[in-house]
Amino acid sequence: MIQLFHVSKFFERCAALQNVTLRIEKGECVLLTGPSGAGKTTLLKLIFGAEIPDEGQILVQNRNIARLREADIPYLRRTMGFVLQNFKLLPKKTVFENVALPLIIQGVSRAESKRKVGEALKAVGMGHKHTSQTGVMSAGEQQRVCIARGIVNNPIILLADEPTGNLDTELTSEIVELFKTIHARGTTVLLATHNQSVVEDMNGRVLHLQAGRMVSDKGPAA
Amino acid sequence: MRRPLYLIQEALVNLRINRTSVMIGIVTTAFTISCFGLFALLYGNLKNLAGTLQQDIEVVAYVQPDASDKVVEGIRQRLEGEKAVGELSFVSKAQALKEFHQQFPDESTLIEGMEENPLPASFVVQISPRFQESDSIEALAERIKQFPGVEKVRYSQDWIDTLALLVSYFEFGAIVIGVILAVATITIIANTVRLSFYLRKEEIEILRLIGATGSFIATPYIIEGALLGACGGALALGLLKGVFEFFRLELNASGWFSGLESVLTFFPLQTSLFLVLAGMLLGCGSSFISVFGLMKVRNETA
Repeated sequence: MIQLFHVSKFFERCAALQNVTLRIEKGECVLLTGPSGAGKTTLLKLIFGAEIPDEGQILVQNRNIARLREADIPYLRRTMGFVLQNFKLLPKKTVFENVALPLIIQGVSRAESKRKVGEALKAVGMGHKHTSQTGVMSAGEQQRVCIARGIVNNPIILLADEPTGNLDTELTSEIVELFKTIHARGTTVLLATHNQSVVEDMNGRVLHLQAGRMVSDKGPAA
Repeated sequence: MRRPLYLIQEALVNLRINRTSVMIGIVTTAFTISCFGLFALLYGNLKNLAGTLQQDIEVVAYVQPDASDKVVEGIRQRLEGEKAVGELSFVSKAQALKEFHQQFPDESTLIEGMEENPLPASFVVQISPRFQESDSIEALAERIKQFPGVEKVRYSQDWIDTLALLVSYFEFGAIVIGVILAVATITIIANTVRLSFYLRKEEIEILRLIGATGSFIATPYIIEGALLGACGGALALGLLKGVFEFFRLELNASGWFSGLESVLTFFPLQTSLFLVLAGMLLGCGSSFISVFGLMKVRNETA
């Protein structure tokens, strides 16, 4: 599903990633760990085509990211779901409108959208709040909406960058449970975090990055 | 159907959140189109006027005082043989005197004391429509001058030529001013649209992240520019109509150039629609310039 071959990325001669090689199979749950500045976000950006590797090759669903035309990148992203630390929701739009956005972009009919958004909101426990504005919601609620938006189009891969970074311990546990449910449905999950409790709770394959280098790759605990 | 509706809604949101610069954009577009329209209006009306005057142009051939009836008849026959001559009428010395008294009753005393009627007989030539160009009229006048018994030929071509020259200056002026103002408007609308683009930068980043194409992101801004331009065009049309009607009423009330107000015309419906469309295209073009190049999906996301 995702393959990296000796990938390096530099920003103004400073290496953000160095010689990273890895392979993620369909349906895997992978946790990307490491301190701030280790290269976790850069690795995610390379996978969804926001950056091009300076060295090496990246294959995502058998498509070479470096050779992908700019115009094809949106179509690649439509097969993915995104959950971010700062939620990236539209504050003046309702929960329903935020979650329906990927479906509007893809030209999904209104009836189909309504059904899919309803399912996604139900899955994150927000079915009762579809008319609320996201700008006035708590951080935990906003993150749930963000997850609902990430899964509404049944993505093959769900990419999450520090999804619990702004949440307290209790909310973090709730969000982790949601990710586990999504993974159990068969979605490939790639979650970047520096929170050790999240790593332990998720019990997935753990890739550890340090100063742009992959220093360990451990399978889930038995 | 849902996607177009969403894109239109987003364009309206852009217009709402960016009210001040939208108003500036509309006023600038209206100003540009008004200036261009004013020139076009003057140009059109002057051209109409020149055309009307050209149709009424006459060549008057004055007959020598001592010319015999035979000579006069000879002039008539030669004039009738000219292709450029449309209608021909003869004004005898007596008729000329009568017309003088009618037209200038106050000056009648000037010639009352004279023993002999000093006014010459003349042939008044109306030019055939096919020969109303200034070169043809001049050539005809030159030929008539050579006819035996013709003393003098008069025609009012000079100031019609001046009017035609003025029309061509207006034509040139309208193009130059139109281009300069169009560039200024494009710059202002482009900046207005770019401002809404930056005001919604975060939203655009989200759209990019979840798979929106460049055209999906750009469309609301193009619609915004088109609406802005169309509003500017409509406002310009209203302003021009107001100025035109005011000018016509003032002209009528002043009594100057009597009859001229009936020649004055405003733009026909097609031209009016074209002005609004021109505003719309100006807005579309400006938006396109503004958002083109800001559509990158790489290096801009998250």
